[in-house]
Amino acid sequence: MIQIDKISKTYSRDGLPVTALREVSFDIAAGDFVVIRGVSGSGKSTLLNLLGCLDSPSTGTYLLDGADVSHKNDAELSHIRSRKIGFIFQSFNLLPRTTAIENVELPMIYADQPIDRSRAVRALERVGLSHRERHFATELSGGEQQRVAIARSLINDPALILADEPTGNLDEEAAEAVMKILHELNGEGRTIVLVTHDDAVAANARRILLIRDGVLRESEVRA
Amino acid sequence: MNLLRLFRPVVRMLTRNRARAVFMMAGVTIGIASLMILSSIGESTRRETMKRFKNMLGTYDTVIIRPGSSKNRGMVSLTNVEPSLKFDDAGAIASQIPEIRQVAQLQNAFDIDVKYQDRSGTPAIFGVSSNWLELRGDEVAEGEFFSEDDCRSLSRVAILGADAQKQLFPDVDPIGKTIRIGDVPFVVRGVMVARGAGPAGGSLDNLIFIPVTTASKRLFNRDFLTMLIAQLKDPAQGQVAIDHIQTLLRGRHHIAQGALDDFNLTNPGAVMAQVNTLGSTLHKLLVVVAIAATGIGGIVIMSVTLIGVSERRTEIGVRRAVGASRNAILLQFLLEAVLLSFAGGILGILIGVGGTQIVARLQHLPFLLLPMAIFAASLLSIVLGLLFGVYPAWKASMTDPIDALRG
Repeated sequence: MIQIDKISKTYSRDGLPVTALREVSFDIAAGDFVVIRGVSGSGKSTLLNLLGCLDSPSTGTYLLDGADVSHKNDAELSHIRSRKIGFIFQSFNLLPRTTAIENVELPMIYADQPIDRSRAVRALERVGLSHRERHFATELSGGEQQRVAIARSLINDPALILADEPTGNLDEEAAEAVMKILHELNGEGRTIVLVTHDDAVAANARRILLIRDGVLRESEVRA
Repeated sequence: MNLLRLFRPVVRMLTRNRARAVFMMAGVTIGIASLMILSSIGESTRRETMKRFKNMLGTYDTVIIRPGSSKNRGMVSLTNVEPSLKFDDAGAIASQIPEIRQVAQLQNAFDIDVKYQDRSGTPAIFGVSSNWLELRGDEVAEGEFFSEDDCRSLSRVAILGADAQKQLFPDVDPIGKTIRIGDVPFVVRGVMVARGAGPAGGSLDNLIFIPVTTASKRLFNRDFLTMLIAQLKDPAQGQVAIDHIQTLLRGRHHIAQGALDDFNLTNPGAVMAQVNTLGSTLHKLLVVVAIAATGIGGIVIMSVTLIGVSERRTEIGVRRAVGASRNAILLQFLLEAVLLSFAGGILGILIGVGGTQIVARLQHLPFLLLPMAIFAASLLSIVLGLLFGVYPAWKASMTDPIDALRG
């Protein structure tokens, strides 16, 4: 599903070039569950942004479903994000003054298919929040907000779900519920790529990529 | 990116941020409302002025000939008449000036008592030729005007102005009744449609029309006229006709070269054109102020949207992550600005129409609804939204989603 070949990312900070990723290469098979680990500033977020087509590599190639997406323009990358990728964030990032169901519908606005509320209703059901449809983000607990965010990431039926510390702001119980949903999604054949510090979360992964100073140090595969 | 897809979510966002939306609209609303009021009141003042002048002057495609030299400037003096303009002059102008189709004659008096039974008054007595009605553009409300035959036969028939009718016949149908003008009995044959106020505000309806010949021979015993109205064949030929009439009358009146005319000539069309261009400076200044206020409304939209762009970085980041392109973000913010501005404009139009009604009532002006002004105001508010929304929208679209989501 994902083939990363010698990807580097350099950007300038205060006029000085900073290398965030250096010749990173790896593959992720469809249906895999991959955890990316690394300390702050190691380049793991940069990697996730590249995987999510929010950013383009400075050098190297990124094949997503066999198509080279390394040098696409903004409209093309937006289209790919809309069709193939679901994002989950540490701080949930639900839109303020917007109800749960409206948040879930949001990606449909930017997709090709018609805006269909019944799909949003089903997505909320799926994360066990159909009774919260009309609630605003501020009326939901952290765990509930993250589950709404998961429903939002699912609405355009993406093959790849990218989660950046999805349990980082949650208590243990809510974190477990979120991880349970992610594993179910993985069980359906969706590819999950997850950035985390949490050993308990990492323990469930089939593969772990360890990034240090912008270099891939270790790629551990488990049974 | 389909604009329609953005429409509902954008409207929803705006209604959920009501305080902000109202604040952003307020400037445009105030500006548009004042523009509406000023333009409507300005236009109805202009039209009212025109109407009063027209009430006084009648139709425009004429040359008005009055006795007395042109040094007696000002409004038509009907009270102190020099005896220089004769019936023959009217005939000569009608037959010898090629630009003139016909000539109407007026001889009048202001101090004659008119009686019907025990009611009396002193309306102006206008002895006129039978074509007067056509040249003035006046209309008969009831009965009919007198004919050329009436003039030839010195008929004693009278047509009442609206005020004269009210005074003499408050509750009786006047047609066929006999009134006494001075000591002479006249039969009422018709009643005029009210002409309304003249430029000075006074009524133009306190008068009685009788045949000019009857007036001259049976009532006033005068052979000179107060005024002639010469109708132009072509309204554009006013000045040419004036020059020809001047030459003709100077010859007929044996006026030596270098001496002053004993008559004066005016072209109501030219007068009207002049009146029409007289806009008050104050009004123009107010319009400029209102345009400035509307522009400030646009600037309010721009600054509040700009603040919104930095407040809504996370939202922009999330939208980008779930598939919004830069263009989609640009469209969204632009649509917000245009919708707000347009809503502000519509509110301004409503307030403007209401305000115009109030001002018109206070100023005793007719209430005027200008479709063109409403259309222009709607268009202006949309243009304002586009103009002042495009920069913040562009800024929003250039927000880096990675930066925006980091934080």
